[in-house]
Amino acid sequence: MRNASLPAKRLYWGTPLQRNLLGIAVVLLALVAWELVARAKSSIYIPPVSTIATTFVHEWFSPQFREHAIPSLMRMLAGYAIASLLGVALGVLIGAYRPLFRLLDPFLQFLRAIPPSAIIPVGILLIGIGDAMKIVVIAFGALWPILVNAADGARNVPRERLDTARIFGVGKTDQLLSVTFPSALPGIFAGLRTGLSIAFIMIVVSEMIGSTNGLGYYILQSQRSFAIPEMYGGIVLLAILGYTLNAAFLAVEHRVLAWHHGQSARPV
Amino acid sequence: MNATNDPLLDVSGLQKRYTSSGTLAIDNVTLDVRKCEFVSIVGPSGCGKTTLLKTICGLLHPTGGSVMLDGRLVTAPPPEMVLVFQDYGRSLFPWLTVEGNVAFPLKKKRLGPEKKRAAIDEALRAVNLERFAKHYPWQLSGGMQQRVAIARAIAFSPDILLLDEPFASVDALTRAELEDLTLKLRDTLGITMLLVTHDIDEAVYLSDRVFVLSPPPSVVVRGFDIPLGRERDQEGTRSDPRFLELRNEIHHLIGRPRTDLPQPAAAR
Repeated sequence: MRNASLPAKRLYWGTPLQRNLLGIAVVLLALVAWELVARAKSSIYIPPVSTIATTFVHEWFSPQFREHAIPSLMRMLAGYAIASLLGVALGVLIGAYRPLFRLLDPFLQFLRAIPPSAIIPVGILLIGIGDAMKIVVIAFGALWPILVNAADGARNVPRERLDTARIFGVGKTDQLLSVTFPSALPGIFAGLRTGLSIAFIMIVVSEMIGSTNGLGYYILQSQRSFAIPEMYGGIVLLAILGYTLNAAFLAVEHRVLAWHHGQSARPV
Repeated sequence: MNATNDPLLDVSGLQKRYTSSGTLAIDNVTLDVRKCEFVSIVGPSGCGKTTLLKTICGLLHPTGGSVMLDGRLVTAPPPEMVLVFQDYGRSLFPWLTVEGNVAFPLKKKRLGPEKKRAAIDEALRAVNLERFAKHYPWQLSGGMQQRVAIARAIAFSPDILLLDEPFASVDALTRAELEDLTLKLRDTLGITMLLVTHDIDEAVYLSDRVFVLSPPPSVVVRGFDIPLGRERDQEGTRSDPRFLELRNEIHHLIGRPRTDLPQPAAAR
């Protein structure tokens, strides 16, 4: 088993610590390059990193964070939570019952093909421009990848696993929870991950259209009032939040799917 | 414990035609298994053996004939009968530990925590896996995984085990070990065994009686008594002239030359 992973190791250079340091060095190099180019050009549209950093600290280590970042995060989490619950529950159900899947699959694939930002006008028309619209739009965007992946996972549970449950007297509803759902978890997590990045995109887009707070609003507003370092600062904050959310997601996935990763690491 | 004459399992005129494809998999199978008996069904590859076992245990509905277990008609998987699949990789639950897998069939049994614990320990001890209770199935070798599947089956305390080529995916040494384990379980726990295999030697070595199946649509070509006594051992029994004679006779009946290695059964 150990031998099987040996050839792959050649792809990497150095120890893990050395690789991390190298990664950080690349980031620092990019920042230094930006700083130099910005200073050389001295255009107000490309402020130096140092200016952006100062503005960033000033803007975000302040009540501003509560005014713009927290509402964005709350809307995103609300929309994402709705999409996750609905997507997993409906997806597992649809995947588990073949006739239902055959009936709904074309419809789902069609809905999934709609770029989520395209439904913002519909949302504004039907619900207005408040928080509800943003939450619905985020939920709509994140729902389809979660639902479709959950359905796929639930559809591909090995026959023997379900038969085994049946032999042990486990009824249909119970099979859904104790066999189909855990079997579909790898698929569900793939969907949740795509859903998370879509939710993150949707929060920014929905806040750029009809909003009075939130990060999307802040970035657009800064640009319109020529507060250029502020605009870049908002983008940097989004990057930091996105990175953190993704890292948190991976940590959860690593725990919940430990069995799956362990299993796939072995040649069967 | 000795085999008595009451049939525990009575299969008569069993027929299975798949409604979707119209294929007649099993034409007319009649056989019986007495209490504490070890009975094998052998036949060429692809002769509908899995279909036969699934129909016997009530996972599939027969299109003709009947299955009686202890005098009662089987229409759904009865709690006295457990089917062990060939592919442990698909039938075990990879998100549960060995212990969790063995505990799975006990969920429906309304046992107190102590009785449940005792049942799990007993089942694991019976297959010599008590030291691996906290491992995950995929951390174990193929033979050990099939022992987990067997432990899970006996934890359900069935009267009869149906074994669908359970030793086809393991190496020869492990195979002999698992064969002797099943014989031991029949004797110590008094569980009746019905094994399906394409390995004639295995069938003769293990069984009190062997039924030979024709290519599909399957019928029972002939039944053989295997008068080799209760005690079997890999060297002695397999070199017994009566063993060789029976084996050759069955080979002749099935009409193919003796092959030392079983067919790769994984490709199905």
